[in-house]
Amino acid sequence: MIGKKGKLLLFCYMIFLVVLFLMCSTDLIIREPEQEVYQIAVIIEDASDNNYSNFRKGMDQAAVELNADVRFITLYEKLEPDQQIEFIMREQQDGADALIVAPVDEQKLFDALSQKQITVPTVLLGSGLAGEEIIGSISSDYKKMGQELTSQMLRQMPQDAEVIILSEQKKRSMAGEDFRLGITQELGRNGCAYQTIYCSENIYLKESLQKAMDSGKRHIVILTESPEILTQTAAAAAEDSNFMESICGIYGRGSTTAILNYLDRGFITGTCAVDEFGMGYYSVCMAVKELEGLEGGKALRMDYQYIEKEDLRKKEYEKMLFPIE
Amino acid sequence: MGKRIFLMLAAVCVLLTSCGHNQKDEQKTSIRIGISLYRGDDTFINNIRSEIEDKAKEYERENGIKVTLDIQDAKGSQNTQNNQVERFISLGCDVICVNPVDRMEASGMIEKAMAAKVPVVFFNRQPVEEDMNRWENLYYIGVDAKETAILQGQMVVDMYREKPEAVDLNGDGVVNYVLLEGESSHQDSLIRTEWSIRSLKDGEVPIEKITGGIANWERSQASALMEQWLIQYPDTIELVISNNDDMALGAIEALERAEITDVNVIGIDGTTPGLEAVKSGKMLGTVSSNKEIYASAILELAAGCALGKETPKEYPLVDGTYYWTPQEIIVLEDSDK
Repeated sequence: MIGKKGKLLLFCYMIFLVVLFLMCSTDLIIREPEQEVYQIAVIIEDASDNNYSNFRKGMDQAAVELNADVRFITLYEKLEPDQQIEFIMREQQDGADALIVAPVDEQKLFDALSQKQITVPTVLLGSGLAGEEIIGSISSDYKKMGQELTSQMLRQMPQDAEVIILSEQKKRSMAGEDFRLGITQELGRNGCAYQTIYCSENIYLKESLQKAMDSGKRHIVILTESPEILTQTAAAAAEDSNFMESICGIYGRGSTTAILNYLDRGFITGTCAVDEFGMGYYSVCMAVKELEGLEGGKALRMDYQYIEKEDLRKKEYEKMLFPIE
Repeated sequence: MGKRIFLMLAAVCVLLTSCGHNQKDEQKTSIRIGISLYRGDDTFINNIRSEIEDKAKEYERENGIKVTLDIQDAKGSQNTQNNQVERFISLGCDVICVNPVDRMEASGMIEKAMAAKVPVVFFNRQPVEEDMNRWENLYYIGVDAKETAILQGQMVVDMYREKPEAVDLNGDGVVNYVLLEGESSHQDSLIRTEWSIRSLKDGEVPIEKITGGIANWERSQASALMEQWLIQYPDTIELVISNNDDMALGAIEALERAEITDVNVIGIDGTTPGLEAVKSGKMLGTVSSNKEIYASAILELAAGCALGKETPKEYPLVDGTYYWTPQEIIVLEDSDK
């Protein structure tokens, strides 16, 4: 038999248990450390992510490791500066904690940053722009890359070959601009004549070859300005084996799966590649470090490599060309 | 006193209900869609992915609603896909689109989505009916595999009726074929195989199977199998029936290596390289689902779910759950479609 005092004690004990349970379940005693999820928006200069597949892998990897919520945004139209600024503003308004931007127009972006229209930390891709408002930038020396590619091409091509540069008809990206400058400077330095053919949406490889053939040259070497043109040129060459009879080299930049595939099949002679996985990974790291108040901002220059078919299976390039998440 | 308390409680209830109602009525200006692909390197899936991205931009422009797509590649691992679905839910996706790795293992993802009240639109690989019946906010978009297979068979039947010697290459009255099959666990693989052959028989094409093999939808595996068959059965194969375009292209590669040009190859999917092969005359034909409609249906249905709207009328759902994308035969003259 429990006495009155015992009943009271039991009642108090029950109350104590209920209070303890409530305190535990409402984080009053055991508080789990709250991990903030940072909202990061990546806004590129292109309308598709075809050239960003390895970049995205790196970006996603960093997002998982650093508990960030990364949104990857492409433009409606390629290289539209106003649209990019509009998207930047939209993302900022929608609560992005940081931005990673591959600028279409450096000046426009710089103006928006300096006029404090963009107030969240911003990391730049493929741009050398510097300033207080920019917390970091990741780029490669595209001018040097163009020079390196051209010098490799000049070393390999027959002396009587005609050099054709297949160029973007529309405006070029910042990286594309520097890359072209590197190519033309190196060709000029070596006194090598060339002709530029501007490509519209569908590359006119046949027409460009015809033009070169009309000029009486038997051999043609093609330098392409962008990964898209390189892919399309290689695809056209793969489709019609007659092309390869007069083409003694197709060169360019980029390391998408399609480009590496054409390189392996011998339709591309050489390409310059950058560690895009690393670019994606480090850009997110930079943004998160800045948001956490750690020192993360700096200008990071990624190395580029000139790759040919036999390099594809080399261990040293494996991580860069075929990154595993 | 009791009356007073009752009235006060009723007033509180009305207030709470109206608050909830206001929240529901609030118009969303942005939606977030998580998309998990069984394998990002599958050509057909890649085509659909690009179309979905384009459609999302179109939707954004037309409706003024921001569409954020989180696209993840499960790389053929159901475990990875389960984690991706979990992450989509924790990131607050309004709706999830899943191209399942293993159609028999969808229940785990469904449970998580049900608990978080996030609708799921499955596509390309149909989960088992038992799973699909578990919740009204589960949908499936794909093609009717039986229809695909019948169309594939019909392609050869039409050609045989018009010009028998173009199919029966050696003129012995029998069309000898080899068969390239997709994954054994994929429902489409089994149905495509069964109905394609049945359609040929119904069309009175005198066929005889030489051999067949599973190439798991992959070009390289199909190429290796075909190479082996060409050695084992020289000058015998007249027709290659493939469950998809990628495997058909693998077979074409092997035929090209062996410098054989007259064997007819038929595929399914109408992928970009597949259509190019038809255009260049390397492939006899393919059955193509309208990828634009396919992607539109996925996006519109997902957006509708996210915004709490009714399912779009352009994409009528069978049994309130399934949408079958229209498909067509593509042969040389219409390969530009």
